[in-house]
Amino acid sequence: MKSASPGLPAGFRDLLHEEVKTRRAIETRMAEIFSDQGYRELSPPMVELLEVYARGNQHLHQEAIKFLDRHDQLVALRADFTPAVARIVASRFSGLPGPFRIWYSGDVFRKVDRHHTRFCEFGQVGAELIGLPGPDGDREILSLAIGLLDALGLAEVQVHLNHAGIFGGLIRELALDRRGASEVRSEIDRKDTRGLARRLEELGVEEEIRRQVQALTMCIGGPEVLQEARTLLRNAESASALDDLARLSDSISGWSDRIVYDLTEVDEMEYYTGIMLTFFAPQLRGELGKGGRYDALLGAFGLEAPAVGFSFSMDHLVELQ
Amino acid sequence: MIEPIRLSLPKGRVLNEALKLLERAGIRPEGDPNGSRKLMFPDQEGWLQFVVLKPVDIPVYVESGAVDVGIVGSDIVRELDVDVYEPLDLGIGQCRLVLAAPRGTTLALDQELRVATKYPRTAERFFASRNAHVHVVRLEGSVEIAPLLGLSNGIIDLVETGRTLRDNDLVVLEEVERVSAKLIINRTSMKMRSAEMRKLIAQLDTVVYAHH
Repeated sequence: MKSASPGLPAGFRDLLHEEVKTRRAIETRMAEIFSDQGYRELSPPMVELLEVYARGNQHLHQEAIKFLDRHDQLVALRADFTPAVARIVASRFSGLPGPFRIWYSGDVFRKVDRHHTRFCEFGQVGAELIGLPGPDGDREILSLAIGLLDALGLAEVQVHLNHAGIFGGLIRELALDRRGASEVRSEIDRKDTRGLARRLEELGVEEEIRRQVQALTMCIGGPEVLQEARTLLRNAESASALDDLARLSDSISGWSDRIVYDLTEVDEMEYYTGIMLTFFAPQLRGELGKGGRYDALLGAFGLEAPAVGFSFSMDHLVELQ
Repeated sequence: MIEPIRLSLPKGRVLNEALKLLERAGIRPEGDPNGSRKLMFPDQEGWLQFVVLKPVDIPVYVESGAVDVGIVGSDIVRELDVDVYEPLDLGIGQCRLVLAAPRGTTLALDQELRVATKYPRTAERFFASRNAHVHVVRLEGSVEIAPLLGLSNGIIDLVETGRTLRDNDLVVLEEVERVSAKLIINRTSMKMRSAEMRKLIAQLDTVVYAHH
């Protein structure tokens, strides 16, 4: 009697001929662009100490696929590239002159999805620019991302731009305790404007600031929303974040048809410290990629350095070819 | 040709209320949705496609983007804990999720307690917030019979009129949460079709808050 095939563990799949071929072609094309722009490839191991995913507000340790190594240390399959890159740069490059321009491509593993509509292993390709602060770094990383999309013939992809300091500054102005602030972040994230209004009132937030929060949840569109938000928001942190975004906007006016300024989103995990990017393609159900500035992450690995980066979903890039 | 926005409606007790609410917002199905057994039908203006689904499946369809928008009870949204936008409480399908036990009994937290429910995650969260260690038994239906048969000491279940509880000699000990139908929207759909989504939200908001 023949034995049946053992099948696959839940959440995993085989990549067959065409998909592997397309993946490799995309990676090869992207490697050329990265190299032209002075970015060098890194390949961190497939396994890290679980701790690597817990530092710096990443909140990845729950989703990571964990096990014990031969010294009974808690380790995880690679759940993201950015923390591994941060670990490498902080521990190996700290004496060298920056900035460091790094790209990577490979698979990551997460217990992402309780409802089993997605896979646990997925391809990521992305870049990190470490050591170049503020608008210069932001402009370079955005220009790199758009250059890659152009090289892959994906001119229809939209980039949604935001800055963590805009809502961040406003929420800090509310002077709520940790729990109240976190509740407000979740309410904003749900986009229930009336529910948010009720919650802010319950928390005793004064009317003028309630009005600002409400108005900000509508700020999505062209560069004019930056003006709108600028007249709306008075606190110094939001204003400075809007100035950053306005400077970036001026320097990328050539791509204005694919940029959407979306100030309605809030970073629930408080991971980002500056610009936030999300990439959408009209044909895709789900984000093509995301990124932003996370100036606090390297510090969590022992090297104070500004950092900005992004990653694309390789599976979605393949889908778009 | 742009595809219509897919809007899922919950099969069962809330369907008619949802259709009435949509009608008042000027959104009407083409043909009679009750007269046929079709699960998908367009609206009269052609910008929406209705899909009738089992309520418990709607959050997963919306989160994955297989449908763009859903109308579904907040009990189910909370239980499944999906990553979607929830821009509007529609105020229909109102009821309560309660903790109940047989008349004359109490659920003393120093006993070994078992509670039967169709909402295991919500129940776990509820007891955790009270620092109570309760064994949650997950059932698919007829939860009210579990204490009578000795499977559990109490139940967490939806109550509309309270009739089912009375018939089974159960009394409400505590309210877990108030429930009503929500409008939920896929995260990418909200961004990629923002004009249509805003129109839909505004139309529904107008009728939901007409009397306020």
